[in-house]
Amino acid sequence: MKKSSISGWKNVYIFTLIQTLKNKAFIITYLLLIILMMVSMPIISMITSSERQEFDEPIPVKKVYVNNETSFPDMDFTGVHSDDRLSHISFETMKEAYDTVADRIEKKEQESVILTLTEKEGMYALNLLNANESPIKDIHMQLLGETIAKEFDIYKINVLGIKQEQLAMLHAEVETKVTLTDVNGAPILEEDTSITNSEYWFIYGILIVILFVNSFASGQIATSIVTEKSTRVVEYLLTSVKPLAIIIGKILAMLSAVLLQMISMVVILYASNKISTVLSGDTKESVLSRYLPENIFQNLNLMNIIVCFVLILLGLIFYGTLAALTGATISKLEEISEGLTLFTVTNIVGAYLGLGAANVLMASGVNGFVTFTFLFPLSAPFLLPGAILTGKVSLGLAVGAIALQIIFIILLFWFVAKVYETLILHTGNKIKVKELIKLSKTV
Amino acid sequence: MSLSVQNLTKKYGDKVVVDNLSFEINQPGVYALLGTNGAGKTTSIRIILGMLANNGGKVLWKGKPLDPVKSNVGYLAEERGLYPKYSLLDQLMYFAKLRNVPKKTAMDRIKYWAERLAVEEYIFPPKVKGKRTSKANRADQLSKGNQQKIQLMAALISDPELLILDEPLSGLDPINTDLFKSIIREEIARNKYLIMSSHQMPTIEEFCSDITILNRGKAVLQGNLNEVKKSYGRINLFVKSDVDIASYISSFDLTIVNKTPSEYHLRVKDEKQAMEFLAKLINDQIPVVKFELREPSLHEIFVEKVGVVHEEK
Repeated sequence: MKKSSISGWKNVYIFTLIQTLKNKAFIITYLLLIILMMVSMPIISMITSSERQEFDEPIPVKKVYVNNETSFPDMDFTGVHSDDRLSHISFETMKEAYDTVADRIEKKEQESVILTLTEKEGMYALNLLNANESPIKDIHMQLLGETIAKEFDIYKINVLGIKQEQLAMLHAEVETKVTLTDVNGAPILEEDTSITNSEYWFIYGILIVILFVNSFASGQIATSIVTEKSTRVVEYLLTSVKPLAIIIGKILAMLSAVLLQMISMVVILYASNKISTVLSGDTKESVLSRYLPENIFQNLNLMNIIVCFVLILLGLIFYGTLAALTGATISKLEEISEGLTLFTVTNIVGAYLGLGAANVLMASGVNGFVTFTFLFPLSAPFLLPGAILTGKVSLGLAVGAIALQIIFIILLFWFVAKVYETLILHTGNKIKVKELIKLSKTV
Repeated sequence: MSLSVQNLTKKYGDKVVVDNLSFEINQPGVYALLGTNGAGKTTSIRIILGMLANNGGKVLWKGKPLDPVKSNVGYLAEERGLYPKYSLLDQLMYFAKLRNVPKKTAMDRIKYWAERLAVEEYIFPPKVKGKRTSKANRADQLSKGNQQKIQLMAALISDPELLILDEPLSGLDPINTDLFKSIIREEIARNKYLIMSSHQMPTIEEFCSDITILNRGKAVLQGNLNEVKKSYGRINLFVKSDVDIASYISSFDLTIVNKTPSEYHLRVKDEKQAMEFLAKLINDQIPVVKFELREPSLHEIFVEKVGVVHEEK
């Protein structure tokens, strides 16, 4: 790559970036996303805190009519009183007809419920009935039902004469462990590299954000390149700059615009989360801290942040370059969606590999497939940032992935630049993959 | 010697679209590239400008390979191109920046050309209370002619030494055609080198000293326009008379090229035959209203050359 081939890229970059930032559609989307980010955390905090508050208070059920149809004699459910939210509830054996009580609950005693216990073919069923129009909500019924079920279990055990200790022995977990030893017979300790459920969702969240950003940026890059071709502006530009300079300037400008959006959204999200802390009342608990893995902030050091940022940036450049290939192979704006097929397939393959690896990580920890996905340039940008922040990737592996990513980007860029240079004045139909492969042999 | 195009060849597969094209421009002025649609004019221009890779030949500017990025070259493409949604001023400033024109110089030139081409209101829409009064500062809101003016401004923004104009007058109304012509004359007067491609033969005759006629990528005629015409001789005779002279034409065995109700366009063998024909008419007291003997027009030469080649093919 000669220096003269890329001279002028800065002018292309600055102009494209400024025009993108001035674009009305960009500004409107940007503002909408920022507003959404700003209000999202406080809204979630307000909604969830009212629910949580409600859950902590005594439930509105005052009386439970027990309709026992089992072979068990009268049962005692006063054990549920150990839960402060249920301590006020009285239990009464139902003496009247079921319909009479049900009718009364429906019309007068909306704060009472009927508990029906049945026995059929070795199974027990507990059914709770409450009035249609009552202050009792589903979460209250769920809490009451679960607690009564536990009490019923204890009651059954007591009736059978089994002691709690005996039951604990019966239910005790049996752990099977295979330990590898070295030649001297010393055990080889293997680190548990699996991730928790919340860590999985954290990786999943990052993956989806990157997928979204990739798709958005790629569309912008392809559109920008094709616009210049379809409007024939490129013919004028070529008298002043080389094709390579145009393509570099365009890719970097579009990625800068998208990164600017992304970074500012992260900052706004952070601010929004802080606001949610204030709104959470006495608990001072932020929304993110409820859902993020506990150990996430342990891995949030400068080095990890830099490595994640570099990986995301390289991923964006990689996929941006792939999108530029779309722009290089078509000459009409209406062909963009069709032209982006190759990019979309690659992007989805990368994301799915990442997702698959995240599942494997949760199930069994790091294995060959996961390591491959960490290093593979298509999937690394989706999976690695989340995996690094959950502490499942060593620095060496991350550096290896970055090195591979750089090599792939250079090769892809070289190819895309050649295709762009060859097809820059092409005004015909979209170049098909078959023709592209043929072209790749000549460039 | 300033521009030398040597043995330029371009192939697409087996098809030769520019076949060993050579010409030189040794002094300021306009050089014409003529040809039918698809003759290879635009392809030749794109190769000269380095946009297309060639399969052979070279282009020298002042003795060195021409690199438009490094040399000061202006280009008005046949297919006009502007960013449809961006501000015209932003675009022109961008084009100037790409050509390394300082910001202030660029702004001065934009103002000058905007005034000269009467497009000020689109580039600098007047503002009332800080707001633009017109939205027509984007290319997609301009007429085709005005877009062409902006494009010409882009070509001239760097005050280029070599200016390549591909069909510069196509699609313009008579007023704007005259405006463009006056600018071309000014550039000639300022000792600029111009290459012009056009289908409008009278325009070529008006401006160009040297020509190349291309047919299917091959130069079928090249040289100084006056000399080319002289080589054909004065064989076009235009005669107008109040009476019918058909019998005289027939007796002299003259070829009728065209006939209108009042005038004959005849082809004579040489000037001597034309003079004998005139003498006969005068001798017989035939009232001759018009008798004009002249060289063939560029249009006629073009049709003859391209037509002949087409027939041969």
